[in-house]
Amino acid sequence: MYGLLDKITRGIATLEDLALLEDLCETVKATSLCGLGQGAPNPVQSTLRYFRDEYLAHIVDKTCPAGVCKIQQGVAL
Amino acid sequence: MTRVFTLKIDGQEVSGREDETILDVARDHHIPIPTLCHLEGLSDIGACRLCLVEVSGIPKLLPACTTHISEGMDVTTNSERLQKHRRTIVQLLFSEGNHVCSVCVVNGHCELQNSAVRLGVNHISLPYLNPKRTVDASHERYGFDFNRCILCTRCVRVCGEIEGAHTWDVMGRGIESCVITDLRQPWGTSESCTSCGKCVEVCPTGALFEKGNAVGEMTKRNAFLVTLARMREEDK
Repeated sequence: MYGLLDKITRGIATLEDLALLEDLCETVKATSLCGLGQGAPNPVQSTLRYFRDEYLAHIVDKTCPAGVCKIQQGVAL
Repeated sequence: MTRVFTLKIDGQEVSGREDETILDVARDHHIPIPTLCHLEGLSDIGACRLCLVEVSGIPKLLPACTTHISEGMDVTTNSERLQKHRRTIVQLLFSEGNHVCSVCVVNGHCELQNSAVRLGVNHISLPYLNPKRTVDASHERYGFDFNRCILCTRCVRVCGEIEGAHTWDVMGRGIESCVITDLRQPWGTSESCTSCGKCVEVCPTGALFEKGNAVGEMTKRNAFLVTLARMREEDK
């Protein structure tokens, strides 16, 4: 999950990565034995719910609306 | 006196003793639930999360191997949601280690491989972590290839509970967890190991293997465990 988020902030993620991230969040949350695992995906899930447009901006437009991420232009996968 | 509960598993009316788990009852009635860390004769720890089932009235998924039955329970073992989670879990196991079936001694007889086939996992959509892991071949007869370990801890449990040597144990946390012999020393130098080979037979993958086997040549024979556990139970 961290790897996928990192890819998104570097502007090299794809829409498949976003779908995978959502799937992973669900599975980790539902199947974890301990409370740490059950709670760990929460920040990711809530940002996905409320700031999905920003995720999409990183992936599709390769821009960071908040100006926080250092997006490398023209980096090939 | 033990009470008998009746419950529903996948719509089928079944009954079981109060000390039985959902998994026990399901297996008695030939309802398949995939497992990796469970092995008849060993204690259950609910670690692999493959046996998760839905119980109506409880929002969380419960591991069938450690959940005792209760009267009137309504269990679903095979919903689309569960299948999806199980597939992701198997994929996570594959991406976390270095599981190369084509060069593995148990290729074709591997429980991880079989689970993947049964669940329809034919490719891994997660990025492989490719961790640097080592092989311990210091034991005279057996070898331990950590690349293939899924940390089910069957070896740890069989060594402690059945053999009574407790040579194996778990060390580290998270991605750094690993099973170790004695105080993390080469297996061959372990003083507590009796070389009984039980750990090798219960290992679901090719992580623990007998030396001298080539690719796909090894099969695990863990049927002795049920007999041993039952005989000990009768002795008590």
